[in-house]
Amino acid sequence: MMWALSDTWQVVLRDVRSRIRMPVFIFMNLFQPVLWLLLFTQIFKSLSGSVAGEGISYLDFFAPGVIVMTVLFGSAFAGMSTLMDMDSGVLSKMVATPVNRVSIITGRVLANVLVGLVQALIVFVVAAIMGVRVATGMPGVLLVLLLVALLGTGFAAFSNGLALLFKRTETVMATTNLLTMPLMFMSSMMMPSQALPDWLNTVRQFNPVDYAVVGVRNLVLYGYVWTDLWKSLLVLGAFAVVMVVFGTLMFGTRAE
Amino acid sequence: MSVIEAKALTKIYPGDIKAVDTIDFHVNAGEIFAFLGPNGAGKTTTIKMLNTLLMPTSGTATVAGFDVAKNSAEVRRRVGYAAQDVGIDEHATGRENLSLYGHFYRLDGRTIKARVKDLFELVDLAGYEDKMVSTYSGGMRKRLDLAMGLIHEPQVIFLDEPTTGLDPQTRAHLWEYINNLARSMGVAIFLTTHYMEEADRLADRIAIIDLGKIVSLGTSGELKKSIGGDVVTLTPPVERDEELREFIKRTEAVLAGQPFVAEMKPSDGALAVYVNDGSSAVPDMMQILSGQGIDVKTISISRPSLDDVFLKYTGRTIRTQEGTRTNFAQLRRQANRRRNQ
Repeated sequence: MMWALSDTWQVVLRDVRSRIRMPVFIFMNLFQPVLWLLLFTQIFKSLSGSVAGEGISYLDFFAPGVIVMTVLFGSAFAGMSTLMDMDSGVLSKMVATPVNRVSIITGRVLANVLVGLVQALIVFVVAAIMGVRVATGMPGVLLVLLLVALLGTGFAAFSNGLALLFKRTETVMATTNLLTMPLMFMSSMMMPSQALPDWLNTVRQFNPVDYAVVGVRNLVLYGYVWTDLWKSLLVLGAFAVVMVVFGTLMFGTRAE
Repeated sequence: MSVIEAKALTKIYPGDIKAVDTIDFHVNAGEIFAFLGPNGAGKTTTIKMLNTLLMPTSGTATVAGFDVAKNSAEVRRRVGYAAQDVGIDEHATGRENLSLYGHFYRLDGRTIKARVKDLFELVDLAGYEDKMVSTYSGGMRKRLDLAMGLIHEPQVIFLDEPTTGLDPQTRAHLWEYINNLARSMGVAIFLTTHYMEEADRLADRIAIIDLGKIVSLGTSGELKKSIGGDVVTLTPPVERDEELREFIKRTEAVLAGQPFVAEMKPSDGALAVYVNDGSSAVPDMMQILSGQGIDVKTISISRPSLDDVFLKYTGRTIRTQEGTRTNFAQLRRQANRRRNQ
């Protein structure tokens, strides 16, 4: 157990270090969410008040969604670095050592979540500069980070599982692209649930992204809506656990 | 004392592909042992079974005294591995790469620091510890890769095609390091190669592996001796394949049954004739061939090389088998055709 923790820490260090050495990627990941934040709030400005609720601008409504999106994009492609390790022979060299195998996955996922949280904070700051205020203050911000960390853990682990399952960059890329966009649109990220058709409201109940969006938005816009918050925490926690198990199983059986 | 002991070791991949077919061998402590064979012969599969990355389908292997299937954790602690692809992290420094493996091998910080220093000196990379690996040359990477497999002072190190893709100078350089390792650290080295010269220069004993089976095993001298005498290579003055085949067919027919001929094998654009004494056989051979009107462009006499050994046991030259990636299915088909002929 001690070794599992120390191995995980070593893998986190390695991953975070290599990310910091290529800061350009961290900013590339941020580019899209920030662009959406700037553009969408202009395009849908006229919806302010009417769609998002009395006295709430579209910016206020959309900013929480962008924070979720940032973490989603950052973690959904986490498996790519595992694929790179596979292609370069790093992975097979690692698993030939006495390293705790689960740590290779958990370390990677953890590193991804850490970077994702930093990115989420940057988006937070951009949104704050644009005028978004967090209803629940600092404790709320911490809860927001917890919610997106769970979401990020789930998707990073899922992506690693996919990478090990397919072992091909093209397939993993295509699958991930196929999944992320619908997951975003089939949630209340861009439109409030009242404005969505019934079938979408049914679908989004099975979408982990939506639970993150609802949870984060409540904390930013309205304050502590405990029933929603607990639901989000539970669903996202379960999602994270299931995906970590999936990723670990894939690693156990498919890494050589 | 043997550090590797394989008994009837077998790996069958889905589709009934026998990558490794009931092989037996042992490797002594401090010995350099080479698996020589073309791509797809089963070399990498064997290494991966011995270092616990693959489960054998049947048979057993013990490495450093532990069964690879039942006690893989103990085996991993005692072996080092340098794969065909250099498994090092480009976006980290040499020291970071090496230290990470120190941690994975459960060494404490102080030991890691000391070993990193020693190993960088051993592989001649002192001064490059804190440079990014992306700035290393191919040879430097291979050397770092080698060092990474040594940080825990293993009893056995597996080197899968250690010099593939390196220029001749770097290759010769690397041979020196590998040799030094075995001699100075007493570590047993199990290496695979498809370079005759590499096996010849480095290995104490060589196993020739083809289509998953060990076809011959011994010291380089023993293997060459098993051919006996000299090799006379006859090259015809022809260019087209049909003409070459015709030449080989006619020459074989003419020379068959001659007392001085031990064996004949077609090789790259020529016919190899194994004889007891080259210098006395050549005049007789010339007389017989010219009497039959067979033209010969060049004749060369050579002491047998590992090339000839390989040709004798597998029926082909290793060069014709070289490719970038292993195509198992194709190799099996070729093998089956040959076996059925």
